Amino acid sequence: MVSNIYHRFGGILDIAGRYRGVLAFIVVFALGAFFTPKLPGSNLSVFLTWSTQRDTLLYYAEYGILAAGMTLVILTAGIDLSVGAVLGFAATMFSLLMVGYGWHALPAALVTILAASAMGAISGFVIARFRMQPFVATLGMMLVARGAAKWICAGQKVQPGAQPWFKMQTGKPEFFDWMTTPAKGVGLQPVVLLFLLTIILLWVVVKYTRFGRHLYAIGGNEEATRLSGVSVGRVKIGAYMLCAMTAGLAGLCNASLNTLGDPEAGFTYELDAIAAVVIGGSSLAGGKGGMFFTLLGAMIIAYINKILSLNNFEEPAKLMIRGALIIVAVLIQQTLEAVEKRRVK
Amino acid sequence: MNRFALIVIAILTVALAGCADKQTSDETTKQFVIGMSQCNLGEPWRVQMNKDLKEAAAKHPEIKMIFKDAQNNTTTQQSQVKELVDQRVDLIIISPKEALPLTKPVADAMDAGIAVIVLDRRIEGNKYTCFIGGDNELIGEEAGRYMVELLDGKGNIVELKGLMTSTPAVERHNGFMKGIEGSQIKIIYSVDCHWLEPDARREMASALTRFPGAGDIDAVYAHNDPSAHGGYTAAKLEGKGRENAIKFVGIDALPHEGVAYVRDGILTATFQYPTGGSEAIETALKILNGEEVEKDIILGTRVFTADNVADGGQAL
Repeated sequence: MVSNIYHRFGGILDIAGRYRGVLAFIVVFALGAFFTPKLPGSNLSVFLTWSTQRDTLLYYAEYGILAAGMTLVILTAGIDLSVGAVLGFAATMFSLLMVGYGWHALPAALVTILAASAMGAISGFVIARFRMQPFVATLGMMLVARGAAKWICAGQKVQPGAQPWFKMQTGKPEFFDWMTTPAKGVGLQPVVLLFLLTIILLWVVVKYTRFGRHLYAIGGNEEATRLSGVSVGRVKIGAYMLCAMTAGLAGLCNASLNTLGDPEAGFTYELDAIAAVVIGGSSLAGGKGGMFFTLLGAMIIAYINKILSLNNFEEPAKLMIRGALIIVAVLIQQTLEAVEKRRVK
Repeated sequence: MNRFALIVIAILTVALAGCADKQTSDETTKQFVIGMSQCNLGEPWRVQMNKDLKEAAAKHPEIKMIFKDAQNNTTTQQSQVKELVDQRVDLIIISPKEALPLTKPVADAMDAGIAVIVLDRRIEGNKYTCFIGGDNELIGEEAGRYMVELLDGKGNIVELKGLMTSTPAVERHNGFMKGIEGSQIKIIYSVDCHWLEPDARREMASALTRFPGAGDIDAVYAHNDPSAHGGYTAAKLEGKGRENAIKFVGIDALPHEGVAYVRDGILTATFQYPTGGSEAIETALKILNGEEVEKDIILGTRVFTADNVADGGQAL
């Protein structure tokens, strides 16, 4: 079927194949433009307003940050199931340091991100040193991190006054407001800027560093990479560490949006992160994909959720449409990828 | 040898006499052991329930509490109830995860001669000593009536619902509809937020974009306080200052959640869903002292507003 289509529309499909991620993104964007209600008293679709676009970025930034880190791991043909739990741990620890112990935001953020990175480094070490399946190793870390999150806060959300010994008994840390208030002269919140910055930084890492090239090499053929003298173990540990580090960053965003540290935060977020990476066009088999794809994937998921929310569908319809749209998005990608392969040949 | 045996017997007699002596002195202040089977300590409201039980029990030195947490697992809770029966506790308080699977363990405890107080969620049939719980439909109705009064009988409301496949959410919704019946209050946007604050925040942001005018949304009714707080945050992050004009009303009123939000001026009101912790201990004491208790004890609610939050709310 693909070859038939190819014969008739070869030229167009060539372009479509090369920019398949962008195409899927445009399709979802068009869905939003046409299938959301109009603003009262105007012909403009609600989806196209600046406030919708800004909200979408703000509320899905944490998923985007997680997905950026997840991309590194998936490039090596690995997977990290612990990111949601690490996010919850980071959000709880960050709030606890500020609200409970009265720390300033900066040292609290640094210590939190270090702790989160350490969790990733441990997963990476177990995977690299003992050749454990990433699925199993990070599943274990998921439970450990979730347990740690609940342990440090004695099972209760961290907010002013929650425990009698907390330094902060009323109000809330100023840092939370700062993170979610548009920065002067930019018009975007630090949470959103952090998301975009993470994507750009990791894009540079993946595309222009030796570490980045090694990620692709391991995902393509691990044994060959090892034989060519690359320290596969170290690269893997680095990938899982960076992935957990982004989970830590996402945790800071989560705490800021919630204005509290919730030990249950990030539950099942790992699935959204993985979905974003795959929808963007990176392959779960490793070695294929990139950070720009993940940005598209994250935005596609965010837009799908936003469109469903703006239309205020009933819950069952929402779930089914969301699932169907995700499958369609990946289907578009795969069909066009097959076309592109023919073109290259 | 004979002498040695005699000494041993003498020592034993003294020791036993000592024991017996101790037992008789205990008779005057009888010790009771109460086992508590909690279905899931992952929820703040249930943490509060255990805390309330602990505080109430601490006022009675004759009570010793054993707490068990089933971590949201029905089979774990079944075996924990059995453990309490095997331990021969004097009374069991259970907040069951699910009705049907825990009906038999509770019946077995009753057969073993142990009184059982069922807290918050019910079990099937009537083989238990006493049920204590709140009434979600009633609380929803009170919230509805309060809303009518707050808005002078007219206005547009966003409803941030709890997980609509769970009974509390359905009852809080139905009660509310009953409460606003006959008024000109309209629910313009109603959405399932699964009890979760991040979901409520996102959905509220969409509601705000759909109804962008200053007076388009008059109030938000949320099925729990975190959702109400999420709604408030979304309005605040919108940056138009609408969080000050819109009235946010929540349910649950935990001390460090809803009540604190009312005190900080974030919520206009919150309605308490009582944990029944202190009532359970009082009822347990009555049962253990052989008094008759009612089979079903339905707890009332309290409303917390800016005016009464300092005085601990007002009973309805």
